[in-house]
Amino acid sequence: MASGKLLSCVKCLLAIAVIVIAGGAVFLYSGWYPMGADVPHNRFTYWILETLRERSIARAAGDVEIPMNLDSSDRLLSGGADYNDMCAGCHLKPGKTQSDFTLGLYPAPPNLTRDEHRGGINNALDQRRFWIIKHGIKASGMPAWGPGHDDERIWNMVAFLKRLPELTPEQYQILTARGDDQAEHH
Amino acid sequence: MKLKSLSRFAALPVLIIALSVQAHDPKEHRQDAEKPDCKAMKDMDHSKMDMDDPVMKAMMQKCVKDGDDGEEDSHTPSSATDDHGKHGVDNKKSSEHQH
Repeated sequence: MASGKLLSCVKCLLAIAVIVIAGGAVFLYSGWYPMGADVPHNRFTYWILETLRERSIARAAGDVEIPMNLDSSDRLLSGGADYNDMCAGCHLKPGKTQSDFTLGLYPAPPNLTRDEHRGGINNALDQRRFWIIKHGIKASGMPAWGPGHDDERIWNMVAFLKRLPELTPEQYQILTARGDDQAEHH
Repeated sequence: MKLKSLSRFAALPVLIIALSVQAHDPKEHRQDAEKPDCKAMKDMDHSKMDMDDPVMKAMMQKCVKDGDDGEEDSHTPSSATDDHGKHGVDNKKSSEHQH
């Protein structure tokens, strides 16, 4: 009697699983999900994707070793010029509050000129930034800069990011202008 | 034997492709690179500046390298990377002179 109940329960669960999978497949192939970047995800999808992203980055970045001399002026100069060339379009610079990329990308790239982490020593943040710059983030518009840039150059950008929220537009201009002599920093 | 020679043939194009893949080169940006606006440093409040701060050191380094339209002698000493504490004092004095 009990085994009959268990069997019917298993059958019931199997039926539910088949219906869910079939429903998922129908939804997937129907093309009903809005894929345009101008239509935000629903809350559930956003939560799923955000949690997946954050957990994955936190796990992968945990082993990254931070160099001792992140607080050096040479790193600021080298990282600043690269930030201006490679990142400022999406992540902005002092005095700018939006760009075509911040308006159009979804999810919107974070504004790195804002001090949302309240400064100070934050090793997890440094590791996270290094990992993201090096490996990028799938389907977000953030490219992996690792294939064309060595670790030192990426750490220079991380060093610059640590000071970026404090910079005035004038300081930013001086630090990031390549002028004639930036090649020797790389 | 055949496989060995085949792998040699394959290795050459792979090597050529690998060598052609280069890092994003800062030199690419030099043609349209803007110069640092070191004159803007004059308008900054020097009394609030910490000359030992890496941001300040980096700006001095940059403006010394760029010559700052011939006024580098009044901005900084010969090298931006030696004794910065001393620089700080010198720079403060010179900037007070200027502004």
